[in-house]
Amino acid sequence: MMNSMIIGKYVPGNSVIHRMDPRAKLLIIFMYVFIVFLANNSVTYAVLTVFTFGFLALSRIPLSFVIRGLKPIIWIIVFTFLLHVLMTKEGDVLYQIGSFSIYEGGVKQGIFISLRFLLLIIITTLLTLTTTPIEVTDGVEILLAPLKKMRVPVHELALMMSISLRFIPTLMEETEKIMKAQTARGVDFTGGRFSERMKAIVSLLVPLFISSFKRAEELATAMEARGYRGGEGRTKFRQLVWKWTDTAFLAAVLLLAVVLFVLRS
Amino acid sequence: MRKMNVRALVLIGVFSAISYLLMLLNFPLPPFPNFLLVDFSDVPALIAALLYGPLAGVLVELLKNVLNYFVVGSPTGVPVGHIANFMAGITFILPTYYVYHKTKSKKGMLAGLATGTAVMALMMSVLNYYVFLPAYTIFLGAPAMSAPETKALVVSAILPFNAVKGVMITIVFMLLFARLSPWLQKQTAVNHV
Repeated sequence: MMNSMIIGKYVPGNSVIHRMDPRAKLLIIFMYVFIVFLANNSVTYAVLTVFTFGFLALSRIPLSFVIRGLKPIIWIIVFTFLLHVLMTKEGDVLYQIGSFSIYEGGVKQGIFISLRFLLLIIITTLLTLTTTPIEVTDGVEILLAPLKKMRVPVHELALMMSISLRFIPTLMEETEKIMKAQTARGVDFTGGRFSERMKAIVSLLVPLFISSFKRAEELATAMEARGYRGGEGRTKFRQLVWKWTDTAFLAAVLLLAVVLFVLRS
Repeated sequence: MRKMNVRALVLIGVFSAISYLLMLLNFPLPPFPNFLLVDFSDVPALIAALLYGPLAGVLVELLKNVLNYFVVGSPTGVPVGHIANFMAGITFILPTYYVYHKTKSKKGMLAGLATGTAVMALMMSVLNYYVFLPAYTIFLGAPAMSAPETKALVVSAILPFNAVKGVMITIVFMLLFARLSPWLQKQTAVNHV
């Protein structure tokens, strides 16, 4: 589980969704987060569900991967469902136990909200499942480029993010190595009294900071030696190409928004 | 913003990676509800601030949350929890940095961390009451909590939780600072921008 959280949940593949431009994917997610709130009756939720599962089918990601991603939040979904079923008092009474009654409106509301939740998670998980974090960073850098006019250092931010992404696996290994070395010296990371645990954390952090500081220095020297001078006129190794399919998917999402707007009550 | 020095830029990137990893090693504190998690990801941000100024610390906090949002995702779609974590981070490290900066001593650091803890706990209570808890109810679609209910949650859980979290970070950071301060002083002397 630890491992999947470090390198992200990316599943290599060659589907239409995998090949989509990361900029298009980010725009779609951004619109989708708002579009979801348009649905408010059975018809609109049905349309939204079909649309979302359509995307899922196109990505050819096995359903088991998506379900694994849902596990940590399943209790939140169940909790919101129960909250609505028990708290909303609208429509006919469906079921009554003593003074406790369950209303039709509550069940409906519960299903809608849990469904909205589920769909949001599926679509955002789909992004991380089909796009590498580096692609996401590249996409964000280009989409935010207009902010450069407002003197926001977009290039620098994207570079820092790429550096972080590059160093996460390396530093993870480093952390494990240090933990083993300190365990061999008698440090107990798993249990012990409160004060012992604090000391254990410090014995991990000191070498980690020093070694990562050295790594940062080396990288900075290497970059300067190779003539890094900021984003001006920099060329890219990974080029993003906008294809007609990207435009088509964006259009489909806009169409979805229009359809939901017409059908909503 | 003026052009950033390459060393600072790379260091912020690498320290964000450490911060991200420390954020994954989070754990709940038993008496508090389990959406309140303690982690030590503010420590690298604070060190970055000491080395390259307050903006470096803010950027580490920002990148840590952006990375976490991209890789792990958020159950609400809109990253309410990440924004809350970012606010907690900067309300902790900025007061600490400015108080420490006045004296630059071990005592000054302790006073700074105490101020940081107090400011963070208070600011997070206010922000949770007016912004984050209402935002959660909107995005989770839960029935809105009444004002006294929200107040009860803030006073009984969020305020003491952030205070305890601040104290834990203070203890770890003071232990760390005792060992790192000679090294830190040497680095800031060489690298100060």
